[in-house]
Amino acid sequence: MIEVSKKCIGCTKCVPVCPFAAINMIDKMAVMNEACTLCGVCVQVCPVQAITITREEASARDLSGFKGVWVYVELTETGDKTHAKKIKQVTFELLSSARRLADELGEDVCAVLLTDKNHNYEKELGAYGADKVYMVEHDELFEYNTDIFTTVIVSLVTRHKPSIMLYGATIQGRDLAPRVASSLYVGLTADCTALAIKDGLLLQSRPAFGGNIMADILAPKSRPQMSTVRPNVMKMNEPVLGRSALVVRESAKLDKSLRRVKVLERKISHDGGGMKIENAKIIVSGGRGMKSKEKFKQLDELSKLLGGVVGASRAAVDMGFKEKTHQVGQSGTTVSPKLYLSFGISGAVQHIVGMKASDVIVAVNKDASAPIFNVAKYGIVGDVHEILPKLIEALKKN
Amino acid sequence: MASMDTISRNLMLDSLREYAKRRIPFDLIRELDEKNECPTAILKEMYDKDSLGVHLLMIPEEYGGVSGGTFDIYRICELLARIDLGIATGVFATFLGTDPLNQGGTTEQKEKWLKRIASENLLVAYGATEPDAGSDLVNMRTRAEHVVKNGKIAGYRITGNKQWISNGGIADMHTILAMAPGGPSWFIVETKMEGFSANKHEDKHGIRLSNTAGLSLDNVYVPAENLIGLEEGKGLLQAQAVFGYTRVMVAAFGLGCGLEALEHAIRYSQQRIQGGGPLSEKQGYTHKLLVPNYVRLEGARAYIEYTALKLDSGEHGLQTEGAIAKYGASEWGNKAADDAIQALGGYGFTKDFPVEKIKRDVKITCIYEGTSEVLEMTIYRGRWQEHLKSRGRYYLDMADQLDQLHANEPKVGAHASALGLRALAAILEECRVHKLTRHQHVTFTLGRLICAAETAWNFSIAAAAPKYSETIRFDREGWQAMARIFAREAALNTAAEGLALVLGAADSAGNLADAVNMEAIQIEQKGMIADMDLVSLKLKQTFKAK
Amino acid sequence: MNIVVCVKQVPDSTEVKINPETGHLIRAGVPSIINPYDHFALQSALELKKKHNFKVTIVSMGPPQAKSVVQMGMALGADEGVLLSDMAFAGSDTWSTSYALAKAVRKIGKIDLIFCGMQAIDGDTAQTGPGVAQQLGMPQVTFCEKVDVDGRRIIAHKQIDGGYEVVEARPPVLLTMIMHKDYVPRYPSFLSINASLKKPFHIWSASDIGAEAQFLGLKGSPTQVDRIYPPPQREKAAMFTGSGNEGMAKILEIMKAEHFLED
Repeated sequence: MIEVSKKCIGCTKCVPVCPFAAINMIDKMAVMNEACTLCGVCVQVCPVQAITITREEASARDLSGFKGVWVYVELTETGDKTHAKKIKQVTFELLSSARRLADELGEDVCAVLLTDKNHNYEKELGAYGADKVYMVEHDELFEYNTDIFTTVIVSLVTRHKPSIMLYGATIQGRDLAPRVASSLYVGLTADCTALAIKDGLLLQSRPAFGGNIMADILAPKSRPQMSTVRPNVMKMNEPVLGRSALVVRESAKLDKSLRRVKVLERKISHDGGGMKIENAKIIVSGGRGMKSKEKFKQLDELSKLLGGVVGASRAAVDMGFKEKTHQVGQSGTTVSPKLYLSFGISGAVQHIVGMKASDVIVAVNKDASAPIFNVAKYGIVGDVHEILPKLIEALKKN
Repeated sequence: MASMDTISRNLMLDSLREYAKRRIPFDLIRELDEKNECPTAILKEMYDKDSLGVHLLMIPEEYGGVSGGTFDIYRICELLARIDLGIATGVFATFLGTDPLNQGGTTEQKEKWLKRIASENLLVAYGATEPDAGSDLVNMRTRAEHVVKNGKIAGYRITGNKQWISNGGIADMHTILAMAPGGPSWFIVETKMEGFSANKHEDKHGIRLSNTAGLSLDNVYVPAENLIGLEEGKGLLQAQAVFGYTRVMVAAFGLGCGLEALEHAIRYSQQRIQGGGPLSEKQGYTHKLLVPNYVRLEGARAYIEYTALKLDSGEHGLQTEGAIAKYGASEWGNKAADDAIQALGGYGFTKDFPVEKIKRDVKITCIYEGTSEVLEMTIYRGRWQEHLKSRGRYYLDMADQLDQLHANEPKVGAHASALGLRALAAILEECRVHKLTRHQHVTFTLGRLICAAETAWNFSIAAAAPKYSETIRFDREGWQAMARIFAREAALNTAAEGLALVLGAADSAGNLADAVNMEAIQIEQKGMIADMDLVSLKLKQTFKAK
Repeated sequence: MNIVVCVKQVPDSTEVKINPETGHLIRAGVPSIINPYDHFALQSALELKKKHNFKVTIVSMGPPQAKSVVQMGMALGADEGVLLSDMAFAGSDTWSTSYALAKAVRKIGKIDLIFCGMQAIDGDTAQTGPGVAQQLGMPQVTFCEKVDVDGRRIIAHKQIDGGYEVVEARPPVLLTMIMHKDYVPRYPSFLSINASLKKPFHIWSASDIGAEAQFLGLKGSPTQVDRIYPPPQREKAAMFTGSGNEGMAKILEIMKAEHFLED
């Protein structure tokens, strides 16, 4: 509940600061409307402490006995059943984070693996920090299915009561986690970019409003505290070879009728045999300023010379300079290479959101006021069409 | 007609904005401007009832329209002007051309023509102006003569020339004002009628996307049923009845153009670095080129809305209010666009940026639907009568009203506005005593001073309102600062110019210097710089660099 | 079939900034729009309506002014509109929001298809759609580009990590929509906006939909916002000006300094 007491002097200081335009002045008193989210900004600015938010505690749920930091293990879809699936990189990133959190809490890291066939996955999971692997092997788990996977995860959580559970903010993770959260009536924070422990709780940081603001989220009243975590953001630990995880096999009763959505056709885009952009260490990226598909090809050459992968802004993709699989940004892929070399990209917000986590950004653009320079470590104001050929020439000589 | 609910109105604005974004990009506008070409296909599409149907605002629901009110039309006109004033004029011409029908048409005529305009997406032109008759329609030469069959008037033969008719060369139908035996009358003339022809598209300074052409009527036969209202001699009344709100539309054009140009400049000023900092941080720039212009236009906006709401509530005529709204918005919009070019420096002077075109376009708002000089006269005439009728109390009463307001809301510039009105009352009275209004210059100047002083009065009241209009993009702090700046400037100009005016015309000015109370008005200037700093900041926050 | 489309009114996200001194959101003059993904979802549903003559009800939750997105949906062709508006909903997170929306869908009646946008551009969570499906016990197909109906078969083209799938489901099913690339958002004509005022529109409170207060608002939401703050600023870029050889030399110098090239 949010209440304004008679102390309100009608100074209107709270009106402009409300992020949700939820405050009106009526008869010189602040009155909140339905847009209020109880975010508390107005409480902070009120000079006479007239605004109070009372946070009623929900009927206290028993939170004792919830222990362990869980990581959902995501496997690649291979498109056929003959090849063994691989563990996705995001899983290792999550394990690395989970390790840090678990150590601080004095709890175990557990990987949760649902598969039709184990391929010694516990070795890799252990190397990246898992103490335990809860493994469910079942024929019905041959591919990801929302209903089936939700059912298994919910039963595992109910049985073993973890305190924290992390998923990759991939398409699969973002399909699965909200079903689990909804079913268990627990908190879920989407697309986190940082995790920490605050007073024993999981402090989840995430961007909102397209990356224009950050929010810290807590879920104090329910367990497990669940997050989906953005790939390529968390630092991955060096694997400790030979450190293997304890495998705990779990059974699951799965009925065919649970499969209410059936896959008719699957197509995995194989990226020309080359490295995938989300895993690249060096990305050479181009935008509208590359002018044509022909000129954009210089970036292929440059990236080959540097051992990198080519990226493209949305504008470049829309103009047909490069395929959509190379698109970096909110509607493409989020990347965080060691080096991001950008040519002729002005830097729309949605592009910047997708690449600003790169270690070193070098931007070349002829417009000195291009927003890309706000996130770059090095900015070069100049004509890409004069610089690129020279650069390629120089690198070829080396 | 009352206006519609805010949500419906905003949905219409969104649809129009999105249409323009998709179909009328700046590059296209620039090309058409260069080629002096009217995009008839785009206008037709904007009229298409299944796509947009902007013209339906003017048509009552029962005839297939959406029954827009004045406030709705003002909002749409402002947005149209921000898109392109030439295209806006193409829409406006249909509004205007439909007007005589709406005002004076019989039910059968409305049933027939309004329905056709609505469902067949007809472009309409308003044919009043002639080579020798502009705002003074009395000197009109176009004649409509009776054609008698079987002892009854079966129709008319119309002969004459019309000049500078918007949509003249592209319209499907025209409402033509002609001198019938019974006096000035409106006729519906279809483009396909024999003897009717449009002349070449004019090569204009601005609004080059608007088709403007002369019309020739050579013995055009028009059936009697096309005489609007089926009664001769009502033409001038029908034309004047709508000046209140047709002028609100042109006022919205001036407002939209001026603000669009200024907003370009405000965004630009945050990117352009001069002498170590962005221009937006420099008072020599902001307080000269941006803030005063924006403040004047917000004042004009408040006055336009005041007039629009009065019309929507059923008040009629409002010729003086319409004149004040249009005169202020168009003159200040023109000035703002000029300063926006200055604010962009060399860039502003090139055709790569839209401000140069806006400046050429907006000038027409000071000319069509009554030139600024005609409006100065109209405003003076209207209010001079009020001054005489009230024995000098007209503005004093308004000032008293502001004093009360000031007691409750000390931050809206009500005190300064009141001082301005009292100075105005004193000047008008001095003019009466010395019979100075025999000088035309005095009367026109008074018209200008009245416009600013009344706009200040209204701005203070609007800034004190518990809830602001949906159009205000600033918080109370910012908008009230604007009202204060406006009020100070208006009071100072009224007193200083009014005094000079009287001194220049009279043998002695009596104790007018005391009566205008210049000392108090000067004291009111306190805080001006701080307010301008604040407004400058608000403008920057609201119109961030892209 | 009966279709429900869930839409949200959002601020135009790119214009939201934080005042670096106070840490408060600056929202002066930020316009509200229909969430673009929801707009696409709505259009997808309306295309099915056109083809198969389905009934479409549009539902939103928010303050009274959020009626705007519901009315827009009706102007574009939805048959009926519902706005969930009640102080009791204030502060709801994705769990509580999906709970309320699921209750509203139940009240609307027997529903075969629910369309949602993949996510809202202000929150970017993508959780509300799946939450609604779970509360209603419906299957879901998330991240869809295209949906076709063939008798009782629902065929959806959806994105998966690294590719796409074509899947089949039977009603009832909930679909969340991404935007496919050649999509042009439609906006209603003046005439249809005016006509939408005559379509059935309801404002429902928490008690109207039988939602229990303990699951709503801040009290009912498992997550809480601890703090809102601007994203950390990077240090200013080291800037150089120069084209041709100068620019080339500078890039090589940087890459050496950062150890991407050997000296």
